[in-house]
Amino acid sequence: MARFAMVTDLRKCVGCQACTVACSAEWDVPTGYARTHVRPTQISGTFPNLVSSVYVAQCNHCDHPPCVEACPSGATFQSESGVVQVDKGVCIGCGFCVEACPYDARYINPATKKVDKCDFCMARVGRGAQPACVATCTAHAKYFGDLEDHSSDVFKMVFQGGAQGLQTRAVSVGPNVYYVGRKEHLDLIRASFPPRQPRLPVAGEAWTRVLKPLVLAAVGATFAGQAVAFFTQLRKGEQDFED
Amino acid sequence: MTHGVSRRRFLGTVGAVGAAVTAAPTEVKAKGRPPGWRGTDRVEKIATNCEMCFWRCGVLAEVADGRVLRLEGNPDHPLTRGRLCARGNAGTQLLYDPDRLKWPLLRTGARGEGKFKRISWDEALDVFASKLKDLRQANGPESVAFFPHGLAPRFFSTLMKAYGTPNSAEPSFAQCRGPREVGYALTFGHELGSPEPVDLEEAKLIVLIGSHLGENVFTSQITAFAEGLSRGAKLIAVDPRFSTAAGKADWWLPIRPGTDIALLLAWMNVLIAEGLCDREYIATYASGFTELAAHVRDFTPEWAQPITDLPAARIRETARAMGAAKPAVVVHPGRHATWYGDDTQRARAMAILTALLGSWGRKGGIFLPTPVPKGSFDLPSFPESERGRADGAGTRFPLASEELGVTNGLVDATLSAQPYPIKAWIVYGQNVLESIPQRQRTLQAIEKLEFLAVVDVMPVEQINYADLVLPEATYLERYDPPTIVETAKTPFISVRQPACEPLFESKPGWWIAKQMAHRLGLDAWFPWETPEQHLAQIIAPMGINALELRNRGAVAFPGRPYLEDRAADAGTPFDTDSGRIELYSNRLKEIGADPLPRYTPVVAPPEGHFRLIYGRAPVHSFARSQNNETLNALMPENELWVQARSARALGFNDGERVRLENVDGVKSQPVRLKATEGIRDDCVYMVHGFGHRSKGLRRAFGRGASDTELMTRVSVDPLMGGTGMRVTFVRLVKESASR
Amino acid sequence: MLQRRLKKHHVAIMLLHWFNASVWLGELVTGIALISSHFFRVAPGWYLSVIEGVFGPRANLLRVHVALGLLWIGIFLVYGIFGFRTYLSQEVLRKEIALDGDDVRWLVVRVGQILGRTREKLPPQGIYNAGQKLFAIMVYGTLPVIMLTGLVMVFHLFGTVAVGWAVVLHFAAVAAVVCGLIVHVYMGAVFPEEKPAFFSMITGTVNELYAYNHHFKWWQEVMAEEREWERRHDAAAGGRRAAPTAAEDGDSGSGAAAVSVP
Repeated sequence: MARFAMVTDLRKCVGCQACTVACSAEWDVPTGYARTHVRPTQISGTFPNLVSSVYVAQCNHCDHPPCVEACPSGATFQSESGVVQVDKGVCIGCGFCVEACPYDARYINPATKKVDKCDFCMARVGRGAQPACVATCTAHAKYFGDLEDHSSDVFKMVFQGGAQGLQTRAVSVGPNVYYVGRKEHLDLIRASFPPRQPRLPVAGEAWTRVLKPLVLAAVGATFAGQAVAFFTQLRKGEQDFED
Repeated sequence: MTHGVSRRRFLGTVGAVGAAVTAAPTEVKAKGRPPGWRGTDRVEKIATNCEMCFWRCGVLAEVADGRVLRLEGNPDHPLTRGRLCARGNAGTQLLYDPDRLKWPLLRTGARGEGKFKRISWDEALDVFASKLKDLRQANGPESVAFFPHGLAPRFFSTLMKAYGTPNSAEPSFAQCRGPREVGYALTFGHELGSPEPVDLEEAKLIVLIGSHLGENVFTSQITAFAEGLSRGAKLIAVDPRFSTAAGKADWWLPIRPGTDIALLLAWMNVLIAEGLCDREYIATYASGFTELAAHVRDFTPEWAQPITDLPAARIRETARAMGAAKPAVVVHPGRHATWYGDDTQRARAMAILTALLGSWGRKGGIFLPTPVPKGSFDLPSFPESERGRADGAGTRFPLASEELGVTNGLVDATLSAQPYPIKAWIVYGQNVLESIPQRQRTLQAIEKLEFLAVVDVMPVEQINYADLVLPEATYLERYDPPTIVETAKTPFISVRQPACEPLFESKPGWWIAKQMAHRLGLDAWFPWETPEQHLAQIIAPMGINALELRNRGAVAFPGRPYLEDRAADAGTPFDTDSGRIELYSNRLKEIGADPLPRYTPVVAPPEGHFRLIYGRAPVHSFARSQNNETLNALMPENELWVQARSARALGFNDGERVRLENVDGVKSQPVRLKATEGIRDDCVYMVHGFGHRSKGLRRAFGRGASDTELMTRVSVDPLMGGTGMRVTFVRLVKESASR
Repeated sequence: MLQRRLKKHHVAIMLLHWFNASVWLGELVTGIALISSHFFRVAPGWYLSVIEGVFGPRANLLRVHVALGLLWIGIFLVYGIFGFRTYLSQEVLRKEIALDGDDVRWLVVRVGQILGRTREKLPPQGIYNAGQKLFAIMVYGTLPVIMLTGLVMVFHLFGTVAVGWAVVLHFAAVAAVVCGLIVHVYMGAVFPEEKPAFFSMITGTVNELYAYNHHFKWWQEVMAEEREWERRHDAAAGGRRAAPTAAEDGDSGSGAAAVSVP
């Protein structure tokens, strides 16, 4: 089985946003939203000793995706090849997954009212093409492939080239979008755009902390109570009230 | 969604109402794509090339039911190989921009009011032709000046030449590449051309002087740049600002603006003094080395240090790096080169440096163009003008290109009526108010005109001054002359053909030209009926199949990019008078200019002022793209880079809106201040192309600030007429009113 | 008394009841399968697989769930609008749903009886006993919540935050009803004493003895109505009176019941 991943070579990437626009065009992303973001860091340091880099962000198709956990309807799921996808037929746009994503990779499409995000262009990959961002990248800085294929670029870059995902000690959900670059650039990106703790919106917190235990207790108690009544009645024998 | 339809029918018996209601929101209908279009047979792919900027990358347009759904790079394009930048990918938003010009317009109000009435094409062309006839009659054809830019006006250029006017000028010369074309032509015998033949992927060292490649995006050049870096090429970025390229550089030299020639001379000094030049190459191909060596002997890094504000040790270190990496060194010639008025000399210095490193015509340096045989039509000769050109090319500006012209020269001529009055302008694909500095003069010149016709796609500000506005079809809706690129390692021809029918009443340039030709009795210069016929003639000597060309979009030819490929050629590879690389330029000597580049100090900014420098953003093309919905969302306005400490000292905060005021009291529109460490404290920087004043550009109107409006003064290069635009000094003014 | 049957439920209400029951069955089956992530899941994995085997892609699950839900809301709306006076008027609600003193005591005594802690007799009840009334109150309260939250989710009303709350409240409200259902289904379908109640939802009638024993106050009302009807009928027929029956003897209100409640 495949395990898809993406690698961006930050030494080559210039932050030209070709990927952002190609992706938006390919997937009808409404203006003002994006499946993939290109975010330059601030210029760090003191003149003239400066560092800056570019963070190319999208869904990381994590090994342990918090979004899949958070989705009440199972619309968000992870395929066997590791690609986290959204079944638009099931998604109701409750937004729990948007809050859960440590990389803020998801958005609610205001037209369809459903969640949208990068799906590694599975439709294109199925046709034998590269994801739209990889295909258009002017610097040839993006690579996509199967981590289980030892001859692939991504395998070499991840397992031999030291490519790293954006993780911190606090948040490490096993992202499968990796970056290659100078240490100071990777450090700057990690410091500028750290993944945040997955969280649920208030409604979700209300469920997990309060309502779910209450519901389980209530249903359990009712069931238990009814069972007691049933056994008591059995003991008493069937009341033939006709006497 | 045939898949979905059958399921829907099945479920219809269970809950038709519910199914219908729930199915609707899952169908994506954004941006006008017909549902279920993807992966169907109805989608056609048309190969063409892009005109969101001037690189003309190969594009595949996905078309269904007459709608262009998506643009992708064309993998068969020999230069761009399937890659396409942000602007190229956003081309559909130009095609479907609701603000675009739709119908011919005739001015009804005063100049500048922007009041028009809609007229038919017949009426428009009749008015246009009769006006041109009257002008020719009354003042001679030279009284009409033509301002074209891009591929589309090429047919109209033929018309203008046939009409009899020699006055034609594109901003790409005197506002852009002109100095480098002249400087390199003087040295090596031919111009660099576009795309410039920089062998970045094979380079061991890349030197960027002012170039901010990475923010200035040309698809294939970014590819080559990135490839070169990934192969281990070192990078020197000479820039007062910490650009994206500087962020990747091994050496960032934050040079004092205006002192690049001093740095170049110091580098030459080190290379010569330490014996780091490619001596064999120079001996074989060049002349004037002795004079050059004597000239630069005193221009040491220590001499350059106080001038450039760069440590002498760094100057020496970088020169040695060049020496070590030669000949695979790309001294990037830059593109926009009109900075300080001595720009031809700076280009000469860069060319000389290239020659000292032996990189002209060598792998990893600047490669040579390979000519491509082109067909042509047997046209009658163009009428000669007795009165000659009015823009000064060849006269006032002795080295200016007569093919590309000097736009500001035409503005001068219109204002002064010298050498003769200019009564009409035809502006085609050029934005004279944004691309030519000193717009106050341009506006005064327009006031003097009897007739101003503008052919454009978008309602930019200049149309408000026009008497006649003609809506041109976008590049996705028209045939244009094919693009023939000789300055590529594999030269090629690529076609531009329509992906869909022109929207509204917009028309392609070839049609406009032919219609006018007919009305002016100039049909003899247009001996073809359809653009396909025109294309067939052009490609006739190339030995390629027209159908294959149109299907694939481009065809490549074998290239001979390096000197070693031409070893067997007879004659010299250098088209100079001497047949050698002229380190010392006799031609310059002849016309009384410095035969070797000299550093001339630039005026420093007055107390409390900064020098205004400007540049590019990867998601915009000059002033063309700000109204594009997608690109506008990515960058709706520009910002002003100010050194953080300077901003603080002046009492400005990051993110605050400020205005710039120049020494002539001209104030800019409000612009957001970006307080950053990434720029010197003697200059401020903004991306060019914002601050649009045309209300017709609803998304772009009033967003950001225009750098052009502040350029009330320029420094004109006496050799070729280029308008040096980095001589504007500004101070920051608090913006009391919030936006 | 066993022979005579009293009409308790109209055809319309019986249809609604079974319609409701079927829809609830379908909605629970699909709804529980739809909730699939770890935070929210209530059913085991194999259940989800079985249901997906039946319905195919999860999108179909949602489509069926929504279709049934909208149908359910639609029918209830019809009943609610056209039958407002019959089902939702203050009078009806006071008589049939509101708890009175007898009802409260009944609850206490019943729980005591189940736990085997008391031998006290149950106080007389109206047309619906206190347990049934409690269930009805809960249903009247939660059904609108389930319907409204369902609509919010289907049509993405009031924004994403509202949809998020709708998800949570929908589950909670359904869970509350499920608790009620556990008792209601047990009482209706399993508890033998209430067998007449179950069949009354099919035939529309209960036998008089059952009514007398379990819903005394209602039995009294029905008897009073009958006497009233007879009196009017007799008056209309011009005073000719038939021989008084045994039932009529209790008319005058003395109500000295010959039969004792077991």
